Amino acid sequence: MSKSMSVHAFLEIQNISKTYPGVQALHGVSIDVNQGLVHGLVGENGAGKSTLIKILAGAETADPGGEIRLKGQHFEPATPKDALVGGISTIYQVFNLLPDRAIMHNVLLGQEPAKRGILNMKVMKSETVRVLDMLGAGHLSPDTLVGKLKVGEQQVVEIAKALVNKSELLVMDEPTAALNQAEAEALFDNVRTLRAEGVTILYVSHRLNEIFDLADTVSVLRDGEHIVTGDITSFTRESLIEAMIGRKLEGVFPERQGEPGDEILRLNRISSDKVLSDVSLTLHKGEILAVAGLSGSGKTELGKVIYGDLPIDQGQITVAGEPFRPQPARAIDHRVIYLPEDRKNDGVLQELSVRRNISLSVLRNRVANRFGILSPKRERQVAQEQIDGLDIKTPTMEQEVLYLSGGNQQKVALGRCLAADPEVFIMMEPTQGIDVGVKFEIYQFIVEQAAEGKAILLISSELAEILGLAHRVLVMHDGRIIADLDTGQTDQEEILRYALGDTKDKVTTHMSGE
Amino acid sequence: MSRQQAIKFLGDQGFIIIFVVWCVILALATDSFATSGNAFTILRQASIIGVMAIAAHLIILLGDIDLSAAAVMSLCGVLMAGLIVRNELHPIAAALLVLGAGALIGVANGLIITWIGINAIITTLGTASILGGLAFIYTGGKTIYGDPIDRIEFLARGRLFDTIPVSVIIMFVLYILAFLMLRYTTYGAHIFATGNNKKASWLAGIKVDRVKVQSFVLAGILAAFAGIMQVARQGTATAGMGADFLFPVITAVVLGGASLQGGRGKILNTLIAAIFLTTIANGMILLGVSIYAQRIVSGAMLILALSLDRLRTVRV
Repeated sequence: MSKSMSVHAFLEIQNISKTYPGVQALHGVSIDVNQGLVHGLVGENGAGKSTLIKILAGAETADPGGEIRLKGQHFEPATPKDALVGGISTIYQVFNLLPDRAIMHNVLLGQEPAKRGILNMKVMKSETVRVLDMLGAGHLSPDTLVGKLKVGEQQVVEIAKALVNKSELLVMDEPTAALNQAEAEALFDNVRTLRAEGVTILYVSHRLNEIFDLADTVSVLRDGEHIVTGDITSFTRESLIEAMIGRKLEGVFPERQGEPGDEILRLNRISSDKVLSDVSLTLHKGEILAVAGLSGSGKTELGKVIYGDLPIDQGQITVAGEPFRPQPARAIDHRVIYLPEDRKNDGVLQELSVRRNISLSVLRNRVANRFGILSPKRERQVAQEQIDGLDIKTPTMEQEVLYLSGGNQQKVALGRCLAADPEVFIMMEPTQGIDVGVKFEIYQFIVEQAAEGKAILLISSELAEILGLAHRVLVMHDGRIIADLDTGQTDQEEILRYALGDTKDKVTTHMSGE
Repeated sequence: MSRQQAIKFLGDQGFIIIFVVWCVILALATDSFATSGNAFTILRQASIIGVMAIAAHLIILLGDIDLSAAAVMSLCGVLMAGLIVRNELHPIAAALLVLGAGALIGVANGLIITWIGINAIITTLGTASILGGLAFIYTGGKTIYGDPIDRIEFLARGRLFDTIPVSVIIMFVLYILAFLMLRYTTYGAHIFATGNNKKASWLAGIKVDRVKVQSFVLAGILAAFAGIMQVARQGTATAGMGADFLFPVITAVVLGGASLQGGRGKILNTLIAAIFLTTIANGMILLGVSIYAQRIVSGAMLILALSLDRLRTVRV
């Protein structure tokens, strides 16, 4: 299987570029992928991984000038069907399954065994069982509706489709993103099984642990360019990260300044439906208070009730000593602001300009006069202030947010919050899915805000970030706060132990703190 | 120009090109099209559709559709005629009552949509049926006519300086106001934001339900006003007088480039599209096309409008 044996690599990507309006997503990328290996593809968000996958899958066409060769033959899929026929199957993060059809109909979709249009159900079942067995999923019945399956099982169905298609190259895009630990382990086994069968796998992930576990070779993309390809053994964790971000890793958190002052927010025995029970906390000016917990622990809901995104059944909230009934518009009047968890859908308005996104929450108070007439000049000032202060990378403030990178979209969302001059800042997963570089800037932002006396409630799944930034951490489990810890005197293990409560079978990969 | 830019240009401005081509054809094929008299005729005919289209534009910007607008226009039209003919009210008093009725219907639509949470299409389909029924009961199925209606005739037939029709001036003034409101007021900004992403707007502190109710109230008032204009034009009022307006009004807004998903649309393009649609009708009459063939063209225009909408939303 060594490279010297054949002239051509199994898959040759040669000088592939892709330009979108205003963005060059890929810039003359050339990568060779050898047969029968697991080839890792890593890079930050926006590095061009997804674009490259889409070109291989026939969902996008590359700019003229480059070429893809599969087994030495020119390969240019114009449609997803072309790619499939050519032997390339792609498993996206969002599955391509028919939830209301049985497993066997999904597995054999488009290649049903039939005679004169009549399906041969016997062959359908046996073929489905055969591939499911290969994937260690013999317990699944071919008649089960796909919509009833767990996420990990649905992914098995996707892989089974690729097997039935006799694909020689399987492209997997962030395959563990939605899986729990056990499901992820099962997936790794299947990847190894497929490799043993001679299938070549292009494994796209930003989880370096998985790359080091699974991949034989790895390629790094950065800003649409191919940086390096090599045997996984030639990399260390640090050298791989450096290749991804293009500079030395700044792993340290910015230093906190100042100590918490007066109380500003108090929750008194708050309950909400079945997700929060009897939750109390106090937050002080200048304090960074983190909330940790597994998914389903209630930490997300805790952030939501304070802002009115989720109704309160019982209990009271006070802001600066005054009773407060949560609702977004009212919260902003009380100078409580909220950075939503789902940045793309809730944090920014994709099709509006950077300018309008930033000014949105303060149009009435800072941009309009008392008759509701907007001043374009004041609006530009409000936006420019935040663009400068947060170093938002955008060609002009009129650019639609949609064309900004994830990190810059998050900065726009932060800018909108900051323009409202908040005293209490509820941040939901502020660095989730954000590049390492911008992540550090956001950490700095959080620390600076606290130093200026703002109270910050940091709701996060990243333990490193919690320990690095917060004064205190509240750990939630099953809708309750079960620990209130000083970050100077605790560690990841202790937080995780509390987060798990008494049960031990609920660990998800989201808490790995990678 | 790249292919993507070409598609975007066609999607945004395509109908204007068709408009120009159509005008050139008519100017060459007929003697009467390219005259200033005919231009004012077209604008006068466009005025009521134009006013209705402002209302539809606001609602479509929110990502909703108001199917009750034509019924509001009918009911308010017969009310106007009834109040001045049967009850012998002064036209100004009658107009204020009728506009108030339009506003009230808007409140009802808005509250059903926001409080009860029924989607706008179903809600306004329901209210359209109720209002249509009320209009028939009020008129008893008969045409309302009488001399007092002459007192508002100037709305349709009056001319400023003996040249520019009053109805045309009204239309242009309303468009300028709508344009300024959408671009330079908090309320206008909130409409765009709400139509673009309701949840994110709400989280950003915008009272999205209030924005919706306000918009339906405005839409109700505009439809009522269009009803008054139509009474002035016809000199009579019938329960079905607004029925023919629903279709061209929505066609105009979509043809003008407003996205049915909400959040996107230029009010001045809606105005141009409303005039364009009227020009098509006018041209077909000049060319002697039968009224039935005109319906075929109307349907084709709606599909063309939606095809352009598709072009705009394709992400290339």
